[in-house]
Amino acid sequence: MFINYEHENHVYNVSIEHKDSYYFITYDNTEYKVEAEETKPGQLKIKIGDKIVKAVIAESGKEKFVFVDGDVFKVKPVELTGMKRVKKKDEEEGLSSPISGRVVSVKVKKGDFVKKGDVLMVIEAMKMEYLIRAPYDGKVKKINFKEKDQIEIGQTTVELEKE
Amino acid sequence: MVLFKKVLVANRGEIAVRVIKACQEMGVKTVAIYSDVDKDAPHVQLADETVGLGDPTPIQSYLNISKIIKIAQDVGAEAIHPGYGFLAENPDFAMSCDDAGVKFIGPSSKVIGLMGDKIAAKKTMEKAGVPVIPGYHGLKQDVSTLVREGKKIGFPLLVKAAAGGGGKGMRIVYSEDTLEESIESAKRESKSSFGDDTVFLEKYLDKPRHIEFQILADEYGNTIHLFERECSIQRRHQKIIEETPSPVVSKELRRRMGEAAVKAAQAVGYSNAGTVEFMVDGDLNFYFMEMNTRLQVEHPITEMTTGVDLVKWQLRIASGMKLTLKQKDLFQRGHAIECRIYAEDPRNGFLPSVGTLEKIEVPTGPNIRDDSGICTGMKITPYYDPLLAKLVVSAENREESIQKMIWALSHYVVMGVTTNISFLKKVLEHEEFRRGNITTHFIDNYFKDWTTAKKGLPVDAIIALAVYDLMHRRTHEVVRYKEADPHSPWKHVGRWRVGGI
Repeated sequence: MFINYEHENHVYNVSIEHKDSYYFITYDNTEYKVEAEETKPGQLKIKIGDKIVKAVIAESGKEKFVFVDGDVFKVKPVELTGMKRVKKKDEEEGLSSPISGRVVSVKVKKGDFVKKGDVLMVIEAMKMEYLIRAPYDGKVKKINFKEKDQIEIGQTTVELEKE
Repeated sequence: MVLFKKVLVANRGEIAVRVIKACQEMGVKTVAIYSDVDKDAPHVQLADETVGLGDPTPIQSYLNISKIIKIAQDVGAEAIHPGYGFLAENPDFAMSCDDAGVKFIGPSSKVIGLMGDKIAAKKTMEKAGVPVIPGYHGLKQDVSTLVREGKKIGFPLLVKAAAGGGGKGMRIVYSEDTLEESIESAKRESKSSFGDDTVFLEKYLDKPRHIEFQILADEYGNTIHLFERECSIQRRHQKIIEETPSPVVSKELRRRMGEAAVKAAQAVGYSNAGTVEFMVDGDLNFYFMEMNTRLQVEHPITEMTTGVDLVKWQLRIASGMKLTLKQKDLFQRGHAIECRIYAEDPRNGFLPSVGTLEKIEVPTGPNIRDDSGICTGMKITPYYDPLLAKLVVSAENREESIQKMIWALSHYVVMGVTTNISFLKKVLEHEEFRRGNITTHFIDNYFKDWTTAKKGLPVDAIIALAVYDLMHRRTHEVVRYKEADPHSPWKHVGRWRVGGI
């Protein structure tokens, strides 16, 4: 998943994936492998290397407040633009993998016509299976993964041409 | 003597909460007053009875003497606690209370009036044998008289406008050579700024500290002091961090200053809680500065180290009880620090920050006290003082107190308005502060440019946000595909949240 945060007129591009029991965060060309749990609503305990960070997050409309180490920062998530990823429409969001995992099966072939709601792909992670369904009627243009492939969160599973 | 049955608290914010709690502990009924913007404030929620004041403008609400006295009479309150600020040092209010037959919890209106006149107060203290800063406050304002008086006082010398404030019309004179021209330019500046060219001359203190003594006096002349508070850490004459004991006050100096403070209070027939403020110079000479005829903001550090509840004694004394605490029985234990948490933005010239409080989390632990007047959902408005809360800690010694305070500030969460918490931490972490090398110039000396420091979003915050957003991203449909037949229990699972499960 790619997220852009705006703080004091500066935009921070971040990508994050959840794999096994770790979160992999890439920011400013550095990857951070962290463990995290939400100890109570809005309160995170994050293990970054040997360091434990306690963070508190509150949301107010579109704004978010994050508290770390005695300081509070106000941020606003901003629309995804630019090099890393073109913003997807909401319905296309349904074609991206909701989680990092393994492709269990591909239910369609290139050129197939699918109806809204048809299962396109099955992804397994953490002993759960996730269905990727067609968000609209269309023709399968491209299939980006095959069975047993590793897929990362946010990656597009199947490209559909709208009917 | 019996305590009052019902007390009206003529204030808001943390001090109203503090006074209401003390009353409730003692079984005294409380009445809170509130302006329109404070109708859901903690002091209103806490009180036994509440009466609205309407318009939030201070002059229409918390400063409205006739309205407040009428409310006290209507609800049958026997006494009014003024807190600090607002009407606490207004002799007209104290007198109006007397006239209305409502007890004002504080000294007499006469004493408030006398101490409110800074020059008359100094003269009274000088007569009583309390050291005052050598100076000239005379009405003869011709330049030759001022030059003659200035030479008598000695150098360095401070020339300041009688009507002054904010450093306008103020000059520090280091030698006789520049005395005359400094007086003339101070007079010109004063005239153009305040329309009055009266100036005073005072000895300029090197390495000045602000050290004050807490006083308790009953209405029968029994007066004690509860030791000092070091309040040198100030920003634009506003105290921000206070501690006790002071790192420079020896046992011997404490005894002498304490005696002077008691003498000062007795000289004016003081009763109830009060504070005698002294300036202490680099050679540890002390001079009377002024007397605050009310409860101080920073009173909790005295309570933490002496075990005495000052607000309860204010109530007892005002209801006519005798002071049963004896000077010889009072001791200071350990060390306490208070930090004032303000809704102001250190990166924006410390301008007040307004907004809605989205989340508050307060550190807890042994010897941590949070005197707060805020709650989640509350709006911080520009009408009143931006003090949100006072964080107070105590420990065995100064070093441990500082460590505890840094920990506590690091765990104090206020979201929705900008606070000065990070600034307070920086001050406590400063090497010269830790060494106890503090003067009233400390903030100007070491943190003058701090306001402009920008620092951006730290990596830890970015990581926390991303993790949080991934955990809370939109819900996805989750089923066990292999079991996704019409009779499968997974059909009834509904929508699951995906992420950091």
